[in-house]
Parts: sequence; C-alpha cells; structure tokens
Amino acid sequence: MVTPYLIHFVVFVLGSLLASLYFSFSDYDILNPPKWKGLDNYTKLFHEPVFWKALWNTLYFTILFVPLQTVLALILAVALNQKLRALKLFRLAHFLPVISSWTVIMYVSDAIFNPRFGFANSFLIKIGLDPQKWLQDEHLVIPLLVIIAVWKGIGYIMVIFLAGLQNVPSDVYEAAEIDGAGTFRKFLNITVPLISGTTFLVLILSTISTFQAFEQIYVMTGGAMDASSAGGPHKASLVLMIYLYQEGFSFLRMGYASAIAWVLFVILFVLTVVQMLLQKKWVHYE
Amino acid sequence: MKRKFKSWGTFLLSITLVSALLLTACSDGKSKSGAGGNGDKGGKAEKVELKLGFYSSAQSDAKMQELIDKFQSEHPNITIKTESSPYNQFFQKLDTQIAAESAPDLWLSDGVLVPKYAERGVLKDLTPLIEKDLKKDDYFGLDFNKDANGKYWGVPQGIQIAVLYYNKDMFDEAKVEYPTEDWTWDDLKAAAEKLTKDSTGKYANDSAFDKNKVSQYGLTFFSITEGWMTVLKSYGGGVLDETLTKSVINTPENKQALDWIVDGMQRELLPTPSDLKSFQSNMAPFPSKAAAMRIGIYARTIDANAAELNYDVTLLPKGPDGKRFSPVIANSWVINKKAEGAKGDAAWEWVKFWATEDEVQKEWASLGEAVPVKKSVANSEEFLSGKPENKQAFLDSFEFAGTLDVNAVWSEWVGKFNDNINRAFEGEIPADQALKQADTEVQQVLDEFYKK
Repeated sequence: MVTPYLIHFVVFVLGSLLASLYFSFSDYDILNPPKWKGLDNYTKLFHEPVFWKALWNTLYFTILFVPLQTVLALILAVALNQKLRALKLFRLAHFLPVISSWTVIMYVSDAIFNPRFGFANSFLIKIGLDPQKWLQDEHLVIPLLVIIAVWKGIGYIMVIFLAGLQNVPSDVYEAAEIDGAGTFRKFLNITVPLISGTTFLVLILSTISTFQAFEQIYVMTGGAMDASSAGGPHKASLVLMIYLYQEGFSFLRMGYASAIAWVLFVILFVLTVVQMLLQKKWVHYE
Repeated sequence: MKRKFKSWGTFLLSITLVSALLLTACSDGKSKSGAGGNGDKGGKAEKVELKLGFYSSAQSDAKMQELIDKFQSEHPNITIKTESSPYNQFFQKLDTQIAAESAPDLWLSDGVLVPKYAERGVLKDLTPLIEKDLKKDDYFGLDFNKDANGKYWGVPQGIQIAVLYYNKDMFDEAKVEYPTEDWTWDDLKAAAEKLTKDSTGKYANDSAFDKNKVSQYGLTFFSITEGWMTVLKSYGGGVLDETLTKSVINTPENKQALDWIVDGMQRELLPTPSDLKSFQSNMAPFPSKAAAMRIGIYARTIDANAAELNYDVTLLPKGPDGKRFSPVIANSWVINKKAEGAKGDAAWEWVKFWATEDEVQKEWASLGEAVPVKKSVANSEEFLSGKPENKQAFLDSFEFAGTLDVNAVWSEWVGKFNDNINRAFEGEIPADQALKQADTEVQQVLDEFYKK
C-alpha cells in the first residue's frame, strides 16, 4: 500500500524540492540545461531593491490582513453561534464569497472601485469628496486588496471558529453566569481562552496563505491582461509570489525565481517556529 | 523482523518500478528518433508524424484545421498532430515542453517572441532554406525576423502593421475634417482637442471642459506597439541601437516626443495608463466608442467591424521633420532545432505550403486577422475589398515599417521602459527624469543577458 505514496513522494515532492534547491544555485533559463553558479542568485537577490520592496509589500499585506480577518471572523462566528432565525442562511451568505473564483470577485469589486464607472467614486462625488483612483493608487492598493481579501476569506475562517466554539462546554458559561459575568466578560474570559487552540491554527494558516498570495493580486491588478503589469501601480502591490512568477516564467530566470522561493520558505519556517514558541504563552489545550 | 523485511521489499519493489518506468520512457524516445534517422535514408515515402503547435482562437481554429487537412492530402506521407491552446497557456506550456524536449517540431510564434527562442538556441536557422526556396521579393516581412547578424529565424505567417484608425461619426459630429496622409502629430493633437468630450458634452477646446469626466478621448494610446514607439520613431528617436544590445533612450528627440505625449495625457486628450485600467481591456476604447482615433494594427479591424463602427484608416502621422514610422509584427512559423532529418524536411514543407500557395494565403486572409505574407495576394481584390475602405493604407505603410526593436529580452525591457515612462504620463515625474531612469534600467536588462 505504501508504493503509490512513495512514488508520489519521490517524484512530486522530494524530487521537485531538490530540483528547485539545485536550480536556486544555478543559472537556468528553462530552455537550456541549468549551469552551476554557486551563491550568485542569492547575492543578487539580497542586493536587488525590487526584492526588498516585494518583501515589504508581502509583510505589509500580512500585517494588515491576518489580525483583521482573525478578529472579524471570530466576532462573526460568535454572532452566528447563537440561536437565530434563518441561521443557516446567514452562514451560507458569508461562505458564498469563499467558493467564488477571484475572477468573479474582480468583476464585483470593479463595479464598486472602477475609477470611471464604479459606485465608490459616484458616492464620493455625491457627498462632495474627491474621486479616488482606488486600485491604481500606490497608497490605497494594498489596504483595498486586504479589505477585499478579508471579505472573501472570512467565511472560511468563520467556519473553523464555529467548530471551535461548539467544543466549548456550556456548563462553563452557566457557572460564569451564576457568578454574575456579563456577555462581554464571558467572551473575554471564557470563549477567547477556550478556543485559543483554534485561533492558533487560524493564525498559522492565514499567515502562510498571505505569504503565498498570488491569484488575487495577479487578477485584480491586471495580470490577466498583461503579466508584466501585475503588482502595480509602480510595484506598489508587487508581493513575493508575483515577483517570483514574473522572474521565473515571464523573464526565464528560473534559477533566480527558485532562490526567491527558498528565501520565502525560510521566512515562513522561521515565522511558524516563532508562533509555535509563542503559543506556550497563550494557547490552552484541555 | 518479518514485517520490517516486508516493508523493505515493497520499498525496493517500488524503486524498481519507478526506474523501470523511467527507463522505458527513455528507450522509447530513442527508438523513435532512430526510426526517423533511418527514414531519412529510406526515401520520400517514409511516414512522418509532425507535431505542429499554434495558439488557438475561436475565429481561426476551423480554418487552420481545414488548411491542415489540405496539406495532409497533398502530402500523404506526413501526418500532422496539432497542439494548441489559448495564447498565454500556449507559450507557457511551450517553455516547459522545450525543457522536457517534447516541444512541437514547428510552431506559430508571436513575432515579438521569435528572438526570445532564437537567441537561446532553440530554433533552427532558416537562412539557407529561405535562400534556396523562397523569392524574398515576393513576401512582406521576411526581414522583420532577421537578426543583427543577418540570419532568418522564421517565415511570417501573417503580418500586423499599424495605421491610424478614425471614427467617422465622431469627426462628423464634431465637424472636424477627416485625417489626411499629410498629418503631423501636431495636426493630430489639434484635431484631438476638438474630439475630446466630457460627460456634459463639452469639447476640450471649451473653457468649461471638465478633464476629470472625459467620456470620449481624441486618441487612445497603449504601451509600445499601439502607443509610444510610433511617436518616438517619427520624432527621430527610438529605444535600441541597430545591434539591439544598447539603449539609445536618453536623447533630445525622445524628449520632444515624450513631451508631446505627456502634454496630450495631462490635458486628457489621450487616456493615461491608469485611465485605461477603467476599461475591461486596453483595446476597448476605440470599438466601444470612447475614443475618436487609435493607433491600431491590422487585427483591430475585427473588433471595429464587429462593433459596426463607421470608421476608416489612413497612414500614421509624420514627425516634425517629415519622418514616418509604422510598427510591424510578423507572426511567424519557426522550426524546432531538434526537428532533424525527415521531420525537419516535413516542417519546411508546411512552411512552404503556407507561404507560397496562393490558395492557402487567400483562405487565411479571408479571416481578416492579418495582412497576407505574399505580396501578390495582399495586392489582390480579395484582400483589399471590404471594411475599412482604405485597406491600401496598410500596404502603403510597409514603405516606412520597422520592428519594435525586438530581441531576446524584449518583454522585460518593455516592462522597465513602461514602468518609468508611465510615471511621466501620470505627471508624477518630469519627462527627462523618466528617460534617464528608463535608459539606465533598460541597459541593465540588456547587459544582464548580452554581457554574460
């Protein structure tokens, strides 16, 4: 029974991992065999301002996205964990964007944020404010992408939290009520600590997924029309994965792109280890 | 113990299986190429299977298949296996296929991608075959695939050449004379001023015109081919020198051309790059009646005709010294360097079939997506009739046609150039600073590839 798994592991996991590690130390244009270059790609990477810009953009995206989505999803999950009428309908409504493709979301958000035709600008003009360029504005692009990503992703995280909330025993709440704790008190002193294991999982998952953010930014900044314009305007939304894609597939520098991938891996590995160490301080397991 | 032995056994078995699989795959490939080698000596009747790649489109796939069938009936010993997918996927897959040595024997390449493959050693040098079998004067565009050393890497499949498109209804409505062949870029701008309209219907030459609410642009303008290259070149500037390895961006001519563009964009007679993002596609403003003029290649007639515009075309305007330039892209058949012997011969048969047979050229021209490669067909009534009326303008433009300084790192340097020049277009940095930065960054891209 282990044979099919081993074939899969050797060919598609271990093999490709080792190959990309080798490419990252070589000059590889895909069309011709790789040539060993030692640390060249890594030296170039650390001296390349575009790499640092992409790294900063990725961190900025993550710092805005992860806390915002986690807090909002938790609030939503608590709200939808009560006995409401049409509860399933509400849950379903929040889950709908999760299953929609980014292309669909792109069209929906374009109807709102298109600088010429969208309602956001018609609304601003109506209340007497200046219209904005939204996704074409260097300063607004990442915050706006984060808001859209939270809107799309929140349903998924909410479902994970709901599962966590349902494991909190109701007798703990009853005891707290007898002691005279209010709703907010109960949330802060019972719910939050008792679902900290779930919160930890959510934090790890969403940090990893934002570091790998690609599709949303590619689609929403015009990559589908022209791959080299993805990550715009003026590289303001160029994150590491878009940078990697352009270098590797558009400009045929697969060795350099592999080096980016390995640096990304090291960063994620370190972040995950840090989170694991920190969890001892705040995560409670029963 | 027994258990351990068993799992080791499975492990060994699986390793053996995997290696067996790999070995058969290799020997399979070898035996095939061996057969091809024999076929080479064996004579003409030898069966050849040719792998033909092309990027597909809804408009042209049926016609392509029709021509493939015709070719197979004329060459019964050649079987064509097609490989096609939409443009982006086709080229991405092609790169990985080349790496895996499973690329098609010949494929249709976008004209701007020919040097990308040629200079990385993937394509077959077609110079001797062209010298032997094609009369160069009979065709448009052979020279557009010639590299700096005089070698030919492809034979054009269809030509894209740019002219000035104009919407007659918009000119009539604004009471502006139609463009003539004597226009300079300044004449164009003067007309654009009378054709750019805001959402309340006021034209740009009216003092009450609101440039934040443009509903109709005088000219639409996008990136290199249908944007800045024509203006730079007709002002006497350009991007790369004749070796295509050195940037000549930072010149007074380019500065003058750039000033012309920036002024037009700042007055919103032309959409800025961020204005263009409001449209679903960079190509949309003209067919969707949001622009009175465009610089457009031949393929743009398809959208203009589909939108039932009342439009025509004429030569692109002249620069201040009367210099003209029309950008050209020769989408071409290229042959894989690995296609040797009978396969290589069969691939060349296909290229000859495409380029030399009038019938094939006419059939393809009937799709209306490119100017025919063969001059006799391009000059025939079949091509010249139909909309737009002045199709002759496309043929006349060959007199001053030039390529887009295409080399192995074309898309990358175009990206760097756009990054800088777009900032000037948006009014964020002055034109001379944009040119200086573009010059440095483009040269870096060139050096990284050519000075290795």
